[in-house]
Amino acid sequence: MDLYSLREQFDQSGMMICFNGPFSHSIIEELGTALRNHLAAENIAKAAVLDVFAIYIELAQNVRNYQALRSLGQGETAASIITIARWNSGYAVSSGNMILKEDAAPLCERIAEINGCTPEELKRRYKEQLRRDPQPDALGAGLGLLEIARRSTSPMTCAVRELDGPYAFFSLTAFI
Amino acid sequence: MDHPSFTQTQSTPLISFDEATHTLCIAGESFPENSFAFYAPVLDWLKQYLQQHRQLRLDLAITYMNSSSTKCMLDLLDLMEEAHSQGGEVRIIWRYDRENPRSYELAEEFSEEVTFPFEITAFP
Repeated sequence: MDLYSLREQFDQSGMMICFNGPFSHSIIEELGTALRNHLAAENIAKAAVLDVFAIYIELAQNVRNYQALRSLGQGETAASIITIARWNSGYAVSSGNMILKEDAAPLCERIAEINGCTPEELKRRYKEQLRRDPQPDALGAGLGLLEIARRSTSPMTCAVRELDGPYAFFSLTAFI
Repeated sequence: MDHPSFTQTQSTPLISFDEATHTLCIAGESFPENSFAFYAPVLDWLKQYLQQHRQLRLDLAITYMNSSSTKCMLDLLDLMEEAHSQGGEVRIIWRYDRENPRSYELAEEFSEEVTFPFEITAFP
């Protein structure tokens, strides 16, 4: 396998860190540490480092929680991708994972809706959601996308690739 | 019921309690694999403690928490607010990182959610 061409592709697209495979909580922790060390070496403001880190954590934990909710954490549906790349003068953090086809449209609608919110609306909606009781057995508080939007400097983008069978591949990118 | 005692890990904060000063300390970063499961024993303990003692000082030095930890923190503050409304003596000292405006904003947003004394101060 010629990894050099893969590496060239990464370099051209500004890719700093990429993980592809099933990820566990400890991988999320380790990648997070690597990400912070990387950013600290770039000499950017502490707040910006934390924003990139926080978005990475929300994306990664969203994927894990979704997989647990839909029982997709095993076998071919477990493998997911997380990337952190340079983007303009900032960073793009992306996640890609398998989802059930029927979840694609509501997810994209929710993202479009959040993208349309002003910072004040995002804060209000965040606080409203904070006051809502979590679904029984939920692993998250339903705050992840709002949290990402609040720390982003541009709207999120998402893409859905339909696959054979019941699944689609879902990519989500946030920009800081 | 034993008071909570957790050592700090990469994704979970240190949690300790000092009986003499009625002080619950939470320090570090918080993005556990399952925040609800992580904070459940702390919330259970606090609920019982406040019923018996009606006095608590919460000393926080948290620079980052993920969104689900935010939810758990609010549940914790709500228990204190309830004790406060029943005449309990509760207060928060939130220590933020001077070099990181996000840690100040985090403290500030929580202070908007409660009516009891909430002090925001920089790390020494």
